[in-house]
Amino acid sequence: MGLTRRGGLKAALGTAFGGVINTALPGTAGAQSRAETLRQVMGGTINTLDATTPGATREAFGAGMAIYDRLASFGRKQADGVWTFDFDNIRGELADKIDRSADGRAFTFHLRQGATWHDGTPVTAADVKWSLDRAVSAKSLSAAQVATGSLTKPDQFRIAGDHAVEVMLDKPDRLALANLCTALSPMINSTLAKKHATADDPWAQAWLKENTAAGGAYMVESHRPGQQTILRRHDAWKGGADGKPSFFRRIIVQTVPEAATRANLLERGDADLSIDLQASDISALQARGKVKLVAIPQTNGFTGIVFNTRVAPFDNVKVRQAIAAALPYDDMYKAALFGRGRTLFGADWSEAPSSAFPQKLPLRTDLAQAKALLAEADMASGFSTTFAFAAGAAATAEPAAALIKEALAKIGIDVSIQKMPDAQMTTMAVERRLAFFIESGTAWLPAPDYFIRTYFSGDQRWNFSGYKNAELDSLVQAARFETDAAKYDAACRRMITIVAQEKPTLMLWQPNQDAVMAPNMEGFTYWFHRQVDYRDLRRA
Amino acid sequence: MAVFRSIGRRVGRRFVASLPALLGVVVFTFLLMRVLPGDPAAFFASGPNAGQEEIDELRRQLGLDRPIPEQLVRYLYDIATGHLGRSITTGQPVVRDLAERLPASLELSLCGLVLALALALPLGIIAALRPGSPIDHGVRFLCTLGVCVPTFVSGLLLIYAFYVLLGIAPDPTGRLDIFAAAPPDITGFLMIDFVLVGDLAGLRAAAAQLLLPAITMALFVLAPLARMTRASLMTVLGSDFIRTARSIGMTPWRVIMVYALRNALLPVLTIVGIVFSTMLGANVLVEKVFSWPGIGSYALDALVASDYAPVQGFVLLIAVLFVIVNLTIDILYGIADPRVSIE
Repeated sequence: MGLTRRGGLKAALGTAFGGVINTALPGTAGAQSRAETLRQVMGGTINTLDATTPGATREAFGAGMAIYDRLASFGRKQADGVWTFDFDNIRGELADKIDRSADGRAFTFHLRQGATWHDGTPVTAADVKWSLDRAVSAKSLSAAQVATGSLTKPDQFRIAGDHAVEVMLDKPDRLALANLCTALSPMINSTLAKKHATADDPWAQAWLKENTAAGGAYMVESHRPGQQTILRRHDAWKGGADGKPSFFRRIIVQTVPEAATRANLLERGDADLSIDLQASDISALQARGKVKLVAIPQTNGFTGIVFNTRVAPFDNVKVRQAIAAALPYDDMYKAALFGRGRTLFGADWSEAPSSAFPQKLPLRTDLAQAKALLAEADMASGFSTTFAFAAGAAATAEPAAALIKEALAKIGIDVSIQKMPDAQMTTMAVERRLAFFIESGTAWLPAPDYFIRTYFSGDQRWNFSGYKNAELDSLVQAARFETDAAKYDAACRRMITIVAQEKPTLMLWQPNQDAVMAPNMEGFTYWFHRQVDYRDLRRA
Repeated sequence: MAVFRSIGRRVGRRFVASLPALLGVVVFTFLLMRVLPGDPAAFFASGPNAGQEEIDELRRQLGLDRPIPEQLVRYLYDIATGHLGRSITTGQPVVRDLAERLPASLELSLCGLVLALALALPLGIIAALRPGSPIDHGVRFLCTLGVCVPTFVSGLLLIYAFYVLLGIAPDPTGRLDIFAAAPPDITGFLMIDFVLVGDLAGLRAAAAQLLLPAITMALFVLAPLARMTRASLMTVLGSDFIRTARSIGMTPWRVIMVYALRNALLPVLTIVGIVFSTMLGANVLVEKVFSWPGIGSYALDALVASDYAPVQGFVLLIAVLFVIVNLTIDILYGIADPRVSIE
């Protein structure tokens, strides 16, 4: 007989579970059975193997986490039966011990003895120094990211022995260590990378896009961008919390553009995991009960309605407050998100009760107040405006937009809805040519001051509303170096209060990350980068 | 020999004649992409702290910071030297992407076309021989259905029936089962490569993978082919030489297959050319539904992301293919009807 595909698969599965016959999958090495292979299907593409490449997709960040190690890693915690990353609990990854000086201005990373790169050569302090230098010097995504932790120049990094590297700061930045845990601070095998560096490209950025010089939990077996990437386990990897290699020997990450096809694959048991299915498919899959759904609110993200605070009429805080009082939050949450997430509206306070952010904000529907506020803004007769959203977000944005249009008509505001291609929407948002729109964001580092610094101050793209507030700006700059916990807490509460009162963006909700997986999969964790970390996963 | 030389000369002349059109296509696409309201640098500057600096850097890397005429000249120079730029979406040179994906699209479109012809010609002939009969109505119904149901609907339906419910089709992702070994890359056409290395199991697997998408495409183009066959054959059947052939007592089989069909084929060939070109460029939906790594879905992804180089490369490729397909059809004309010459 020919090797029929399904037959081959079943035989392999049978082998894995029964462990009697020793057949193997066609084209794979003997021991790599289906049970030890994870097949993830996704709509996106891993467009570079170096997550720091400008233009890297989110999927590339996820792959980078598995392929490269960082000096340190966030922990993970279990709450309400689901795992999420633990920002407040940082452990060593490539380092096995991290010393922090008393003044908080120096960290010493002691590298794990015996740690090796994928090619078997030992990890040295010089490699780490080169990687850190690259992060702050190369024209990549890293420089801007690690600068948020006050890491800006190569002379902050010093080799302090064969297996120790010291990182020095001018001021005790609260986020310096956290910045060494993200996908943009990978540790690179400098000996290998330097062989491929050129005069024009001293950091081997071109070569590292398609090749790796890494030491993480997985190595790249094959990479076909837009189709599939196959990872093989690095058996000598000891960077995990338990120091053991990951469970899955082989990871197949496949691009399957059609969401319905992804759902079919999962239901048939041919794929093991997908984190980007459509809400409608998810409820159907759940009803039929052949897959496991792990729904985790994206605790470091939000979806919000953005006002461009630099153009009329939204430069007027009364107008923003009026609209905030007119929106039907609960209906929007149900219609747009089918209630799949965590709400950020409906609180009742005037001073922020805690420094956690995002937290529930005082957004409530009150039409009478909305009309009064609009009158105070000298706009009792209303005005016309356009509400925009990206075609890629239409599944949730479209129902929300319809409800917004309907609700604002009641206070005399005439809204026309504009749906535009993603690239066009991004361009217009970056150029601040949109007045009123819906956007989503995630802060990799969910510290309240970082969140507010990223989304409500400065001129970078993520300050969607172009918001400027002198008090907030000075608080945000001071908070990052604040070492006194109580003062930091007070500053954060004040910033949250300002955002809640001034309403540059109406933060609506945190959508769930809906991970649909085979019933025997365990350990799925929600990470700051919103991708799968293959190192957490195992098959029961 | 002389015949081949004359064909060669004609082919050469046709290519030279098509150069201005290709140049026009290149320049037009180039300008069109830059007129579209979407800035690739802004779209891809997605870093956690993407600011103006990052956008400018990306723009510089893409060469978009230069004046448009200079960009155009550079682009034309690149094309002349065989470069089509680099895709940001996949991070690969466009030439490599297209070279990898074109065989996939061609394999799918050709199989779809062969399937469609194998169905459409007999159906069209039967319908023409018995106009107004229940068979004729049945064929018309089938064609209408094929045209009305969008390819992504028929594709998803086929997947649901044969993969999800019956479980007899392989999982509809790509050209080959993800766990199977791919043949060495000889021609890029998987089925041919499998035959070349003598791997019949592989050939079967690749054919199984191809079947559903090919049927989906065939259903969609069934109508123009079958309808054109019917109409053209009916016209020919009513002409004088058929009446003469019948009156001198030739067998109906000979009359229809040799005299009528050959004369009726010219318009069908024209339609085949058009249909094939359309299939190549417009099978995006089928490629999406079946995760087929073809050029259509590649270009669409690039377009959505305002990724200039792949879109421009795709349009150029399709234009070249169109020229080749038209030329092939013209040569086939000559074979079907010696009176026609492509001069």
